[in-house]
Amino acid sequence: MTGRLEIGVDIGGTFTDVVMREPGKDIKFFKLPTTRKDPSEAVVAALKHIQSTWGLQPNDLVKFAHGTTIATNAVLERKGAAIGIITTKGFRDILEIGRQSRRQMYDVVLEPQPPVFLAPRRFRQEVSERVAPSGEVLTKLDESALRHAVDKLVKEGVQSIAIVFLFAFANPAHERRAKQLISEWYPDLAISISSEVDPHFREYERTVATAFDAYVKPTVAKYLENLERSLKEEGVGAPLQVMQSRGGLTVSEVARMRPIRLFLSGPAGGVVGGKIAGTSANAENIITIDIGGTSADIALISKRKPLIRPEGIIGDYAVRVAMVDVNTIGSGGGSIARVEGGSLRVGPHSAGSEPGPACYGRGGKQATVCDASVLLGYLDPDYFAGGSLKLNPALAHEAVQKDVAQPLGISLERAALGIHRVLNAQMAEGIRAVSVRQGVDQREFSLMPLGGAGGLHATALATELKMTKVVIPRIPGVLAAAGLLAAPIEHEVSAAFSQPLAQLSVDAVNQALAQLDEAASKLMQAERVQRAEVTVTYYADVCFIGQSYALEINFDPRTPGLAERLYEDFLIAHDRIYGHAVRVPAKLVALRAIHQAAGSDTIEEMKVPPTSAPIELGTRKIWVSGFDQPVEARVLNREALPVGFKFSGPALVQQSDTTTLVEPGWNGVVDDAANVILTKG
Amino acid sequence: MQQRDGGLDPITLEVVRNKLDGIANEMQQTLLRSSFSPIVKEGLDASASLFTVEGETLAQACAIPVHLGTLIPVVAKILELFPVAKMKAGDAFIMNEPYQGGTHLPDIAIVTPIVAKDGRVVAISAAMTHHQDMGGMSPGSVPTNAVEIFQEGLRIPPLRFRENGEYNETLVSLIRQNVRIPNTVMGDLNAQLAACNVGARRVGELVDALGHNLVGAIFENLLEKSEQLTRAALRSIPEGTYSYVDYNDNDGIELDKRIKFQVAVTIKDGNFHVDFTGSSPQVRGPFNAVPSGALAAACFAIRAVTDPNIPTNAGCFRPISLELPVGSIVNPVEPAPVNARTATIKRMAGCILGALRPAVPERVPADSSGEMLAIMFGGLRQSGESFVVGELVAGGSGAGLTSDGVDVIETDVSNCMNLPVEAMEMEAPIRVHQVALRSGSGGAGKQRGGLGIVKEYEVLEGEVRFTHRGERHMCAASGSNGGEAGAMAISQIFRTNGQTEEIPSKMMAVLQKGDRVVVTTAGGGGNGPANLRDPRLQEADVKDEKISPTARP
Repeated sequence: MTGRLEIGVDIGGTFTDVVMREPGKDIKFFKLPTTRKDPSEAVVAALKHIQSTWGLQPNDLVKFAHGTTIATNAVLERKGAAIGIITTKGFRDILEIGRQSRRQMYDVVLEPQPPVFLAPRRFRQEVSERVAPSGEVLTKLDESALRHAVDKLVKEGVQSIAIVFLFAFANPAHERRAKQLISEWYPDLAISISSEVDPHFREYERTVATAFDAYVKPTVAKYLENLERSLKEEGVGAPLQVMQSRGGLTVSEVARMRPIRLFLSGPAGGVVGGKIAGTSANAENIITIDIGGTSADIALISKRKPLIRPEGIIGDYAVRVAMVDVNTIGSGGGSIARVEGGSLRVGPHSAGSEPGPACYGRGGKQATVCDASVLLGYLDPDYFAGGSLKLNPALAHEAVQKDVAQPLGISLERAALGIHRVLNAQMAEGIRAVSVRQGVDQREFSLMPLGGAGGLHATALATELKMTKVVIPRIPGVLAAAGLLAAPIEHEVSAAFSQPLAQLSVDAVNQALAQLDEAASKLMQAERVQRAEVTVTYYADVCFIGQSYALEINFDPRTPGLAERLYEDFLIAHDRIYGHAVRVPAKLVALRAIHQAAGSDTIEEMKVPPTSAPIELGTRKIWVSGFDQPVEARVLNREALPVGFKFSGPALVQQSDTTTLVEPGWNGVVDDAANVILTKG
Repeated sequence: MQQRDGGLDPITLEVVRNKLDGIANEMQQTLLRSSFSPIVKEGLDASASLFTVEGETLAQACAIPVHLGTLIPVVAKILELFPVAKMKAGDAFIMNEPYQGGTHLPDIAIVTPIVAKDGRVVAISAAMTHHQDMGGMSPGSVPTNAVEIFQEGLRIPPLRFRENGEYNETLVSLIRQNVRIPNTVMGDLNAQLAACNVGARRVGELVDALGHNLVGAIFENLLEKSEQLTRAALRSIPEGTYSYVDYNDNDGIELDKRIKFQVAVTIKDGNFHVDFTGSSPQVRGPFNAVPSGALAAACFAIRAVTDPNIPTNAGCFRPISLELPVGSIVNPVEPAPVNARTATIKRMAGCILGALRPAVPERVPADSSGEMLAIMFGGLRQSGESFVVGELVAGGSGAGLTSDGVDVIETDVSNCMNLPVEAMEMEAPIRVHQVALRSGSGGAGKQRGGLGIVKEYEVLEGEVRFTHRGERHMCAASGSNGGEAGAMAISQIFRTNGQTEEIPSKMMAVLQKGDRVVVTTAGGGGNGPANLRDPRLQEADVKDEKISPTARP
């Protein structure tokens, strides 16, 4: 057999998902428990599984794409490297002072707001050097002071160093020289410099990005090196590719140099997965909502492109690095319902998975959304998580009765429905907020529920948000791993470029772009792709003069009248996102080149054929909003539904890892790509 | 929601509450995103909220408290002059007049009715934005040396701004003529209208779905619930009258006269009475705060000392009553200037909290610096281009019972971001030489107060007009429970000829090329006796050079 096999491995907190594609054949997929201590063990186990189950050999692999939470976990668990920060003399406290504002308006007993844990004051050193806003060197880099500072940090035990000099985005010479010197003095130290990590103005934001890069660099490097070695030992010849936060892949050697770009590695695979499933269902505008136990993740895909945000949130901290716009809200299946001051509250506290909802029977006593779902008849107690966990309706009954029905003086079923209605209202507001921020109208989008609990809320949310179409992918449980197979290889390089549009020099723009292209091409060289396969797109960050935040405008540098075109496109974008645009002067603040290769809009092989199991699983009495009595719902076996199969709500569509509630008034059909499409009619 | 029996269903109630919060947030998002001026975007100095037709706050986004409190009297005044019964869809009202309920002239409120399909007004949308300029004697319309309100800019009494969706062109033309940057001001006013429209559309949908009467009943019920919860929380505070005194430095005119704030807060039977009797008479300079300021301070304080989980609406504020002596710093008589009232409102909030500290020691930290140093540089570049660049600089927060204060952070009623060094240097011929924590400035204690900041600026092209509006130069942030006071603020000008000038808290000066200004802000107060401090924390502070100013290597 010649190598045609592609594999996507997404390592999440609980499961490692594996999707395997061989062109022309149905994709294969399976889940393994994640090995927390060394996640690469699960990867090796997956390779063994492939060999023993399908007789496929590691050397058949031509692609090995990986989504990982390693960078995020290092931050959340505070397990990154001990780092030191070296700054321009006079500015070592930029990290700790931050922007001086607080997140919780009414708090009076305060906590530090910036990520000071990255480098407390004793780990921050200063050296004499100074660059002016124009890039002119005012004070030369004091190399002996640098040596002194680094020696001190090394003595304190740092493994990684972040260098952030003022105006390094305008002239990176001092940062580059410092990096070169340090790597000569201490070859084992990891080094991150701000002019490479985040070459843009605002020193605090650049410091945070650079410090986070330094913080996760040794951890990420060790992990990826281990994984590369394991793969080699198992006989895999294909290069290890890693998903980056913007939704593009890169080869592991490059990923290790730019770890700041891996924070959303896992979720980015999910968003690309949502895109390919949506494309297969002829839906190019998609809102995905992935509802888990403690939270729900919302992401938007517009015209087949995942929407990107210029700054993400890692833990509690804003980090200026572009990533897919995945928004987490604190509502999920485990959200606790209780009565406070005569009002029903749902969340933000969650029962999590331990002890979990009352119906899990693991000692949880408080009523949760999941308990309500059992009482309303949405969940089959004997077929939860594919039958791996038996739910106890009596415990759900007890908890909802005690915590909600009794205090409010209403029936058990009304209480359970109430819990769902409140949760749905919260999630609908969450979806609306993301749509408003991105300047899109959610009614023009299709809703794609994901995660264990997404399907239970899909039609209710769509109704609330006036969305008329819901897409249930064939393999929602492993969509993130499938997304890894469809994602392009991508490199993004940007640089500050400050010029008023009215005085734009097209030559200067082209010179700057040539430099960006050179840097991106260098990164692409490691990817084993042909130059002809690479497509290049350019973006300019534009803002009104005097405005603080810029919008990213796509452009073609060969356009005649470039400045006018950029200005008009900027006005249109400003109007779309902010609701108005005044014709006053604007300026360009940064340029960005994105080089992409390979990647596909959809994966044909995702159309997994139906099993031969029975389609009908009987009926169940369920309670739904708007009806005083329970209604009789048809229960369907998702895995057995053939293409073209039609049905109407009320119905429950069950599959091993999730159940979809189809409320009365919604109709379902299985489309040609095996997605279930629900429409209101 | 379809089959309701007309009674108040607790589920629908909670669904509506969640929606109202979402609507207020969407209004706020719209306001911030569509606003034009940097002061709104960097300073987040704009707020939107929903009101009932009685003028009570229904829902508010997490915006700056100093605005949300001041929108209450503004909406009340508009409703008084333009009765709800006569309001129609497409109407919008405007005002900034402090002596009729506003706060200071740059803060303009836009108020619009939310009209149901049947033509009845069901609620009110309101949005307040700090505008970049409102005319008057100085760019930015916050002149430190104003002695009467007429110098501070254009005063807009409650007026109709739009009718049937059409602008009042006379008024628009008048505003445009009186401000320095008419396009920006109009852009920001448009953003305010856009935010109000979001509220109108979405609350309108809610009323269409649920019916006018039910929605009205739900609104009232939500306010009652928050009121009950707030009163219950107040009842858990020991009853009594709690007093506190603190000072601001001076009014910028009479530099040797401190401004006294004396407050007596009475907690009784679920009520929250705030009496500022004993405070200084109104001052000549612009530090007077009209009554909306005291209300904003009280609204902030009541939210801070009760349960943060109580949904924020007018119900939370119903227990508040105020005693504000006429002719005092907290209730000046026209035409006293008011533009610099933020410092006054901040100190009022600090005093109310300070008074309540013995009653709720775990909720209220030692005094924060509570200062928002405002500095501004303006002049002409050699190229002839003019520049104005300003920034707001915070000090340290007070230490809690079990946590140290936070270094350099905005507290109480304001929450503005600072200006990046790289932004300042790109905008103006200024070089910043230092931005550092001010070692040793936090009040000592079992828990240490937060540190202030040291910032050093050099003028690269003269001459530059320089404005400095500080606080805590003459009166430190007190410690509590045996903790010590934080260090006071000090600012100095170092001239090229070797002379040093101390800045007496407020100053307007002319700087020449090469002159340097060093500002240091105050530290927060410590909490608990210093000898009880955990030695490990002490050691960490020494290592981090936070407590020994001479230990710098």
